[in-house]
Amino acid sequence: MSRLIDTGLEQLASMLSHMGELAYKTVSFSIISCIEGTDSHEQVQNLSETLVSMADEVEDKAFELISRFQPVASDLRIIKSYMKIAYDFARYGRYALDISQIYERLGGINKCEDWIKEAIREMGEKTLSMVGVSVKSLKSHDAKLAKTLAETEKEVDTMYSRYLDRLVENAPSTNRCAILTVLVTRYLERIADHATYIGESLVYIATGERIVLR
Amino acid sequence: MKQISTKNCTHDDLMVNDAKIDVRKLNVWFGDNHVLKDINLKIREKTVTAIMGPSGCGKTTLIRSINRMNDLINGSRTLGEVYIDGYNIYERNTNVYELRRKIGMVFQKPNPFPKSIYENVAFGPKIHKMARGKELDDIVEKSLKEAALWDEVKDRLHNSAFSLSGGQQQRLCIARALAVKPEIILMDEPCSSLDPTATARIEALLRRLSEKYTVVIVTHNLQQAARVSDFTAFLYMGKLVEYGDTKRVFENPQSELTEKYITGEFG
Repeated sequence: MSRLIDTGLEQLASMLSHMGELAYKTVSFSIISCIEGTDSHEQVQNLSETLVSMADEVEDKAFELISRFQPVASDLRIIKSYMKIAYDFARYGRYALDISQIYERLGGINKCEDWIKEAIREMGEKTLSMVGVSVKSLKSHDAKLAKTLAETEKEVDTMYSRYLDRLVENAPSTNRCAILTVLVTRYLERIADHATYIGESLVYIATGERIVLR
Repeated sequence: MKQISTKNCTHDDLMVNDAKIDVRKLNVWFGDNHVLKDINLKIREKTVTAIMGPSGCGKTTLIRSINRMNDLINGSRTLGEVYIDGYNIYERNTNVYELRRKIGMVFQKPNPFPKSIYENVAFGPKIHKMARGKELDDIVEKSLKEAALWDEVKDRLHNSAFSLSGGQQQRLCIARALAVKPEIILMDEPCSSLDPTATARIEALLRRLSEKYTVVIVTHNLQQAARVSDFTAFLYMGKLVEYGDTKRVFENPQSELTEKYITGEFG
């Protein structure tokens, strides 16, 4: 016999799964536009705002379940983690928006050096793959898959440091390109961090262990 | 990948040497019914320990073993040891009356004596010849204050105890238990017949009492166990399934049986 709380937990899981798909779409839109040097600000802004309001809805639903059912054990861990993950998805949206705003302010990367274009493409793809893994492991509650995010995050961190070093050693032809590179790589690095936070929440749901994947 | 250390006290961590109550290999039978099976449990001083589990799992029998109340039941048989402050209370020469003075008990339904409020609290000190006159008055006042009842009854101490509400009667029973200066207080579903307001008062009182006394509470109410206790033990079919820090038991139980019980999959 299913419990009364199960219906609420299923609703919450469905809301979060939908949010994950939207978050992936938002980040993907923003990164691809950045690599291609096109403007996606308006679309990304709409998606980002939707993510924020969905995070609020997840929080409301979670609070309702807590007040109605006083969940414990795995139920409690799921609800607590879903609230955190919803916030992480909203942060994906926010950083995606920040990246898309750079185009408005500084223009695209088309006029920057080739190594900068290549660096942003490489780091963008890696970060987007982490977002994909975080969404996939959420849907299947796959803690093992979630733990793989640790390794990819290290790679993103290494790229970030390497590109910053290169900027210092070989300044680009324009300040505009230097600032653009610093900002975009920084936002990508933050998105990768949030992917690992999601991974940590999924491990916590599955095992009750609090681990750090960064 | 780093492991964060959290307060995750397990049964083994609780197997301390300085336990106030130390239950070792305890087995209890009522006739042919083997009610408690090889229970090992160490309860720390000045903490609240909740014992939870489905009906018939042996919770009440376990706390009644701590003050030898099971001795009063025909056909009961106990094997194993229960140490209080290092002394096995099942030793043949144990003074059971002195033991029960040291260990107060509060029951499911408030059971005041058909006497005045004052006489209910004074009863224990009188029969144990602990005090009389002004000294007895002081014990009554102090006990009622500790039980958070004094302000409500100080002007009607000689009214019948039955004139009090259910929640007040239960606090009177707690005051009665405190009057004989116990070290341990056992509570068997003390709020099951009370409304939410009276329950909240008893729960707050229980937390305060744990600053001076070792409290063991049996409860069916999981949220109550989670709210009031420092440690939680889960019994199932006479066996101790899990015992540990309450936060850990309710957030991340180690046993699948505990998980199923507290999430309502059975019980």
